[in-house]
Amino acid sequence: MILSALIKKEAKEILRDPITLGTAIFLPLVMLFLFGYAISLDVEDITMAVYDQDRTQESRRLIEVFSASGYFIPRYYLDSTKEIDEIMDRGKAAIAIVIPPDFSRDINSFKKTSLQIIVDGSFSATAMIVSSYAAAIVNSYSMDLMERYLEQRGVQQRHLVGVVPRVWYNPPMKSVNYIVPGLFAVLLMAFPPMLTALAIVREKERGTIEQVYVSPISPPVFILGKTIPYGIIAFGEMLLILATGTLWFQIPFKGSLLLLISASLIYVLTTVGIGLFVSTITRTQLGAMLLSLIVTLMPSFLFSGFLFPIATMPYMMQLYTYFFPARYFNDISRDLFLKGVGLEYLWGNILFLVIYAAALFTLASMRFKKKVA
Amino acid sequence: MERLIAAIKKEFLQFKRDRMLIILILWTYTIEVVMCTMALSFEVKNLHMAVYDMDRSQWSQRLVEKFTATEYFTKAIYISSLKEMDSLLDSGKVDMGLFIPLDFSTAVQKGETGDVQIILSGTNSNTANTVRGYATAIIEGFSREATKEFLMKKGMAGEFPEVEPRIRVWYNPELKFRYFMIISMIVLAGIMVGMIHPAATMVREKETGTIEQIMLTPLRSHEIIIAKLLPTITIAELSLIPSLLIATVGFGLPIKGSIPLFFFASTIFLFTSMGMGVFVSTLSRNLQQALLISFFILFPVLFLSGTMVPIESMPSAMQYLSLLSPVRYYMEIVLGIFLKGVGLKVLWPKLLIIFTFGAVIFPLSLLRLKRGMYK
Repeated sequence: MILSALIKKEAKEILRDPITLGTAIFLPLVMLFLFGYAISLDVEDITMAVYDQDRTQESRRLIEVFSASGYFIPRYYLDSTKEIDEIMDRGKAAIAIVIPPDFSRDINSFKKTSLQIIVDGSFSATAMIVSSYAAAIVNSYSMDLMERYLEQRGVQQRHLVGVVPRVWYNPPMKSVNYIVPGLFAVLLMAFPPMLTALAIVREKERGTIEQVYVSPISPPVFILGKTIPYGIIAFGEMLLILATGTLWFQIPFKGSLLLLISASLIYVLTTVGIGLFVSTITRTQLGAMLLSLIVTLMPSFLFSGFLFPIATMPYMMQLYTYFFPARYFNDISRDLFLKGVGLEYLWGNILFLVIYAAALFTLASMRFKKKVA
Repeated sequence: MERLIAAIKKEFLQFKRDRMLIILILWTYTIEVVMCTMALSFEVKNLHMAVYDMDRSQWSQRLVEKFTATEYFTKAIYISSLKEMDSLLDSGKVDMGLFIPLDFSTAVQKGETGDVQIILSGTNSNTANTVRGYATAIIEGFSREATKEFLMKKGMAGEFPEVEPRIRVWYNPELKFRYFMIISMIVLAGIMVGMIHPAATMVREKETGTIEQIMLTPLRSHEIIIAKLLPTITIAELSLIPSLLIATVGFGLPIKGSIPLFFFASTIFLFTSMGMGVFVSTLSRNLQQALLISFFILFPVLFLSGTMVPIESMPSAMQYLSLLSPVRYYMEIVLGIFLKGVGLKVLWPKLLIIFTFGAVIFPLSLLRLKRGMYK
């Protein structure tokens, strides 16, 4: 009875602030679209500069092979090495190739020649992909040369080793299929805890919390009254992302929907639990805000395996990731979406979340009681 | 002038009292920079592969050695069934599987094409893409070698036409992801502190009602803003020093360009970020709104800036949108100064763009602030 009154009061306060409510609902959507479209390391349409010192049919053919690959767009044709400096310094092209003056002469006299490839290494992850693509293109061009040469001599010879790539779990290798399931873990962690923490700390700052202390409301009821409305918002957020992800981005969903929804309910409890905990150790809204950023948004975004793989982190940092529930939920969500595994694989992670949530709530209501006494 | 100095004194006093904020700003510029630079990487190195070799011949062994000879693949685990491959890939213990079928060497010796399979887990499509690139290049190189050997054996000795790719990496020859990450973290700290701190302090004054008292003083609105922003820019500039030390001494980031230029560019960038912060504060009534609106602006501005993933990887619509993010230009400037060693001659257009953003947003927020006063 008291609980429903508290929830009503909290709901009223939320509804009175349309900016907050609007942000809580729309920001996750904005992020979904940003991540769905903008966050990918897929390397396509790389702008290329060409310094062709040979200017023959053969050299044009090589450039053609680059542009036909679909990965490179030759955009700048240069006349000096100085121009390469210019173009690369200004970041106008990510790769430049230099075709030596005796390129076609060497090829026609069956000699070995070389091609200089200059790659901008500023973003090393892409630079590695770009250089391996470029090497692969030159290799296959070289292979063609050999085949042509043999054909001229009446020998039929195909390449000896072929590759068949097989991709399991996410065959189209679309980044979005991998990003969106991970995004649940981030978004549910980003706002619900902060809003919960602020809702309580605000009462502290304004002094209205004293009224709660003197009222017959018991700590667990007060806590529930504060968290249930934000839990509902969080849950709504999650349904919205789920619907947009599957309908708009057409992410395949292989696992059990019921399992995902129950796991996210538990996860939502841990997230608002963190907000609750933050509220018990901070006194000002600004402090609560900054602390929740450090314990929620940052780790869920950077240290959950959402974007940056955990396996490449140093050992100490890998241990650090175990402290935050986002890592566990990220695994659950990705496994359910991409692999379709069941409870028999996921129970460990789910159990951890349950314990985490229970611990947070007990801790928070204990700290609360102490204050009342 | 005197009243401006008094106002500035007041702001510094207030700032000094807020220890939590000072600690957090320093934290953003130092500990966070260290943690992220150490931990976060898109580098795909030290890969483990599972090898299911049904052929067990000299040829298949040579192929596996080609993989382990590179700096990318450090460990090959031999297995004897596809089921094992599944569990290894599934648990992430290996990044790639190599399947060599039974008749591989027979085909190669006959001069026919023997196909091998590489098996990747697409759950992290970025890694899978990179690994596929490496593996394909390695196998293609091996194929060339094998073909050449085969032809030599058949008596077709001599030279073949051949093009060798000679790859040189500029600006970051060792391809260290850390260099990028640390620059990116310094840039991010700049926008976060530069935008959120002014927004928060302005709104707090609104919330506590003290803004009315300030409005009653003879201070003009631009004087209020100058006084409010001086502590932010001071701490943000000072914090750059420890983070620069961390970057250069701690992580070996080379400084090829000019440090004064870096500070000059940072000042202009902070000016623009603070303009955005003040603008946010005129839109919001309380701290919570200020923070949420900041996020609404920060997320697109950050993720379209090339600080997380390169802009070239985005679809072209997003690339055009990224032109609207001032962080994009600052990132390019800082990368240019540190890694490329370019100077004002190359960077001035970007600086001008950042300054223009600030020059537009500041008067706009000043206007809104004034209007708020007379309401």
